[in-house]
Amino acid sequence: MVHVFQYKERYYIFDTGSSSLHECDEKAALLLRKKLGEDVDISSVSEAERREYEEDFAQLEKDGLLFKEETKVYPAKSDEVKALCLHICHDCNLRCKYCFADEGAYHSAREFMSLETAKRAIDFLIENSGNRKILETDFFGGEPLMNFDVVKQTVYYAKERAAAKGKKFLFTLTTNGLLLKDDIAQFLNEEMENVVLSLDGRKEVHDAVRKTANGKGSFDLVIDNIKNFVKIRGDKHYYVRGTFTKKNTDFAKDVLFIADNGFDSISMEPVVTDIEDLAITKEELPAIFKEYDALCDEYLKRYAEGKGFHFFHFNVDLEGGPCLAKRVSACGAGNEYFSVVPNGDIYPCHQFAGDPAFKMGSVYEGKLDEKIRKQFKESCLFTRKKCDGCFAKFICSGGCSANNYHFNGDINDPYEITCAMMRKRTENAMHILAEKKRLSQNEER
Amino acid sequence: MNKIKTVAPADGCGEC
Repeated sequence: MVHVFQYKERYYIFDTGSSSLHECDEKAALLLRKKLGEDVDISSVSEAERREYEEDFAQLEKDGLLFKEETKVYPAKSDEVKALCLHICHDCNLRCKYCFADEGAYHSAREFMSLETAKRAIDFLIENSGNRKILETDFFGGEPLMNFDVVKQTVYYAKERAAAKGKKFLFTLTTNGLLLKDDIAQFLNEEMENVVLSLDGRKEVHDAVRKTANGKGSFDLVIDNIKNFVKIRGDKHYYVRGTFTKKNTDFAKDVLFIADNGFDSISMEPVVTDIEDLAITKEELPAIFKEYDALCDEYLKRYAEGKGFHFFHFNVDLEGGPCLAKRVSACGAGNEYFSVVPNGDIYPCHQFAGDPAFKMGSVYEGKLDEKIRKQFKESCLFTRKKCDGCFAKFICSGGCSANNYHFNGDINDPYEITCAMMRKRTENAMHILAEKKRLSQNEER
Repeated sequence: MNKIKTVAPADGCGEC
């Protein structure tokens, strides 16, 4: 399919079959939309211009960059496990209102993972990773730093086991920052390939939802820890990761607040919750779209001034990104990625943790429920029928299985609200890609 | 081909 869209005074054509992005003028966009069956007035385009544009369209089509037929080849998925999310601690020292993990407890008892269970999880990953050399483990919670000693010992154990097998681990950890200081910060900086630091932006926004157990805001308790950590981080990976809700649909201000505080790697996610006064509904979408545009403009302005920052969802690589086989494979949860909860039970991913219907086994048994695994293994872009007519399908690969299930009752039934935001961010990201190229070409002249 | 400019894939191994 072909998607024609406009960003302010720019016009773009995205060909989904070839994953090619083109820039054109208003008349070309009009003609193409007419060609696609839209009811548009093309009287402003002269006959001579029309012939010229048609020649351009024909050349692009001949080059396989326009109206290219989309692949319908179902992906061949391997049984190799790539990554585990270790719920090292089902407890938390904060009580964030929107936490999908039920304030750390995942709808069960507050519990810490033992070192023995963590070691069994590492063994499970190594034993099920086939010929794969690089393995990934994310320390998650709850707040994983409440069980820091097990994090540390697990890292040492995994490195030792991997070295003996000719493999290598990449570790990541997500923290709210409360305990991120001194030896802990030093260890994470040395051992973690990526560290995700939770901060929602402006103090009043952060404090309204991210509260301590006694109900006080946590901004002042974490901001210096996070700043100090990023200072020692140097050029190693980190993300300052925020959540926005219905209450701060002006989240661009929060992203820019984070950037203004010296953080240059930022992700800001729409909340996943069914709490009515926080959940995003279709009523908020126009304001959210406007906000993504405002963020896009400021992002480019700062980039042009040499003061740019990295925003996770504006990063779409059409040239060197994933191959087509990967783009149609869906997210990998339940087949190549699993989460392990403190007692060793295995779930398709962190967002399914604690749901008995999705318990796939235990690291102590070492085998997986093949019926559930088959369900996830067979799920791909083509089993998500709603995606057929969507231009962003090869970017998002059918969305989040957990969101689909929690909102629509089926991992193959994409959730419309997140789809709408995904499409918007994709258009912004494509505009950014074009503008960055334009800027670098201008610099070369 | 001067009105339409191509802005941006390069020419399943599972290494990702």
